[in-house]
Amino acid sequence: MNRAYWLITGILLMTILNGCGQEPEKEPPAPPPEVSVPPVQTPAPRAHPVTQETRDTYQFYCAQCHGTEGHGNGINAPHLTVPPRDHTKADYLETRTDEQLFTAIQQGGLSVGRAPCMPSWGATLNENTIHSLVSYIRELCQCEAL
Amino acid sequence: MPILNKLFIAGIFLLAVEGGYTGADASPELVKNKQCGMCHRFTPDEADKPAPDLFYAGDKFQKDWLENFLQHPEVIRPAGHTRDPGFLRGQPEFSPPHPALKTKEAKEMTDYLISLKILNDGPPLELGDLSKGARVRVKILFERDYSCIACHQSYNLARQPRGGVSGPSFINAGRRLRPEWVYQWLKNPKQFTDRGRMPLYAFDEETLRKLTQYIMSHQKDDSAQ
Repeated sequence: MNRAYWLITGILLMTILNGCGQEPEKEPPAPPPEVSVPPVQTPAPRAHPVTQETRDTYQFYCAQCHGTEGHGNGINAPHLTVPPRDHTKADYLETRTDEQLFTAIQQGGLSVGRAPCMPSWGATLNENTIHSLVSYIRELCQCEAL
Repeated sequence: MPILNKLFIAGIFLLAVEGGYTGADASPELVKNKQCGMCHRFTPDEADKPAPDLFYAGDKFQKDWLENFLQHPEVIRPAGHTRDPGFLRGQPEFSPPHPALKTKEAKEMTDYLISLKILNDGPPLELGDLSKGARVRVKILFERDYSCIACHQSYNLARQPRGGVSGPSFINAGRRLRPEWVYQWLKNPKQFTDRGRMPLYAFDEETLRKLTQYIMSHQKDDSAQ
């Protein structure tokens, strides 16, 4: 009796297991092809950050022509042959390097082949201040040199 | 006693009797009455005020121009003084017209203001006139090399005012300013203020003199251009 019971049970189990159909052993999925994703560009922290003194300097000297918010609409703007640069527009400023902006401020517009209306500030502002003004212009245009 | 001396003494007597012009000693009272100190500084130690400093008025202004200006004020800074709170908006809070004085007051005030000096009296600056060719060369310095035109009105080739408004206009500067002051300002403006919005330049002596000549050549009713 016992032997018959275990025989039948074994046959049933074998039938059920075969009926479920054991999946054939699969190979592990291939890893996705490697795609080179460019790393997110995070601008390096500037050596001459924008401080309140930078903003005050911009308001005191630069805003006369470039406007209090840098839109190029200062009080002198309507009277100039060449409009002052709009520091909020990236289109042009991203084509200029920081060095070019520095030189334009320090030595005037002519020194970088631009309008002579932009005076040289090299005898008025020290180099650190001019560097920080470059940083501020980058902040206004929300752009970096391409 | 010569007749002119007699007339002079008689004139002083008449003025004193009529309570008219009494000389520079009474002028500070006039300055108080006219409240000039509300807008102008009379010493460098005062806090910033929104109109030109007058503690060096005698170094800066020509007497005849000043006396006329006080009676018939004109606009010299279209955007207001650089210390005016509305300056950068182009809407000066202390806007023209400057109050006009009567003739007697203007004479008295002029005598007082002309006495205010910080520069040592030196020999007059002998500049001479600019030749036409030299004037063109200095105009290039003024407009192109040093960008003065960005902030100061000058004359264009058609003798029309042209230039920025954040600095004082140079139209008629030759009748308004003393050449010695213009020269000293260009040489070192910090002698007069340490809070100017004008760029500093290290001009050589020749450039200093030429720019002074050029600025002084701006005179109304003068056909030279």
